[in-house]
Amino acid sequence: MLTDHERSHLAEHIARYPEKRAGAIYTLQFLQQKYSYLPDEALAEARDLCGLSVTQLDELATFYSLLLRRPVGRTLVRICDSIACHLAGAPALLAEAQRLTGSPLGGISHDGSVTVMPHVCLGLCDQAPAALAGEREVGRLDQDSLGELLASLKTGAEG
Amino acid sequence: MERVLSRNFHLPQPPGLAEYRAGGGYDALKVALGQDPEAMIDLVDKTGLRGYGGAGFPLARKWRARGSDAPHPRYLVMNVDETEPGSFKDRQLLYRDPHQVIEAVLVTGFIEQADHAYVFVRGEYSEGARRLERAVDEAREAGLVGSNILGSGFKLDIDVHVSAGRYICGEETALLNALEGRRGNPRAKPPMPFEKGLWGAPTLVHNIETLCHVPYIVSRGSEWFNAQGINGGHGTKLYSVCGEVKRPGFWELPMGTTARELIYDHAGGAPDGRELVAFLPGGASTAFLLPEHLDTPMQFDAVAAAGSRFGTCGIIALSSATCPVDFLLGINKFFVRESCGFCTPCRDGLPYLHSLLARVEAGQGKPGNRELMLELCAKIAPNSFCAFAPGAIMPLESGLKVFADVIEEHIARGACPYRGAH
Repeated sequence: MLTDHERSHLAEHIARYPEKRAGAIYTLQFLQQKYSYLPDEALAEARDLCGLSVTQLDELATFYSLLLRRPVGRTLVRICDSIACHLAGAPALLAEAQRLTGSPLGGISHDGSVTVMPHVCLGLCDQAPAALAGEREVGRLDQDSLGELLASLKTGAEG
Repeated sequence: MERVLSRNFHLPQPPGLAEYRAGGGYDALKVALGQDPEAMIDLVDKTGLRGYGGAGFPLARKWRARGSDAPHPRYLVMNVDETEPGSFKDRQLLYRDPHQVIEAVLVTGFIEQADHAYVFVRGEYSEGARRLERAVDEAREAGLVGSNILGSGFKLDIDVHVSAGRYICGEETALLNALEGRRGNPRAKPPMPFEKGLWGAPTLVHNIETLCHVPYIVSRGSEWFNAQGINGGHGTKLYSVCGEVKRPGFWELPMGTTARELIYDHAGGAPDGRELVAFLPGGASTAFLLPEHLDTPMQFDAVAAAGSRFGTCGIIALSSATCPVDFLLGINKFFVRESCGFCTPCRDGLPYLHSLLARVEAGQGKPGNRELMLELCAKIAPNSFCAFAPGAIMPLESGLKVFADVIEEHIARGACPYRGAH
């Protein structure tokens, strides 16, 4: 549940726009930050704030790639697989990530520490292959450094 | 050559307000606030400054299209939704010099007599967005953002909007929908955004790199700007090279610098033991250029004359070690995933093309597959709703022609000739 303070913060942000629904993306991002994904309850909380139905909010949540309707591991690792990273070995890294986590892409590792997903160009083409671990940028990945990254996430050193 | 946009990039941290001002920052804003907006439009018109977000529309023409009599409220949107594969120049401007970005918004906002400005930043650049937000707060406290800017009576507030993903949101009408809290599907044009944009009001959407040039033009003039370019180009450009080169990176250089200088002198050429086979000059959604085009000046008209598009001018290099079909798959994978799904040719056509290409690469292609793919390209591009699918088709269609022999070899052999070769 949102606290009163959180609710008033969101209402204040939404009021900056000429229409309430323009604050929906910020609201959903805020709720996702709180819950790590957007469960049905989160959409219900956003409904009154944004003046949209749950269905309209679900339309947004299912369109935008950074909004998540399913649970994920503690840290989301997005490995770029667009052309520069593709050329630098992203497909092999994605395969290695599945082997190391024992989970398909988008799934949660058995220990709950991580979800690995492919992602579109991160604008780190000069450091290919690159990834975002949470919000942290990681460049020039190889099989070894990917293994180290995932291991560090297990112990909670990152997040 | 003098570094202009990247003059503060050598600093370990982006400059704060005091440091930015010490280097002459916000002086252009003072100059602008004392001038007639129409005179500044005439000035920028003399520079030939064009949009660096990919489309290359002349900035002054965009301003004139909206006109000085447009009704209020008027919105200004700076587009920092850089997601074009192979482009990472806008990131540098956002992360390394946020006050330069704010000054660009303010000067442009004054020229447009805008009532409110939004900076639309892709969600993956959230750290850059936070840096910009901090800088906006700093500038607001100093009287540079908000009401009565520097005592001029001009008022402009700036909101930083952090988006939630999807390449299509960089398309200006999809961006407007995203800002309004809708799905980022493109809108029908007309009406153009400068007529009816955000909440139905006149809105001008500009790329960040384009606008960062405006304060310098206002303070130093069109002749100075034009003299920075070479080979028919004007001003400077944040160029980048990535893909199969020794030293991928970005550099601010005279507009019109040749592809050869960029790929070989700055990026070091193909890795040892390999050769450059082809390159995409302007990000993923442009047509291939070949080694014979290396002396092409990288500016709008020269790249168009060579048969491609200047785009964002993020060069992506392909070397002799990589199968061109695999390269095309790497490019197309992006567009398949990022199609917004609104129109059928794009949503269904691109995955169909992908499956055909994947079959060819896997050695399961059939005679006639290349011709079928070309036919699909010819049908998808003109029948789709927005510029996304034509952009997706451009590298594919040109690749199917340029690499015809190697594609036919895949089909004839029933295997990728590059497999096992490296």
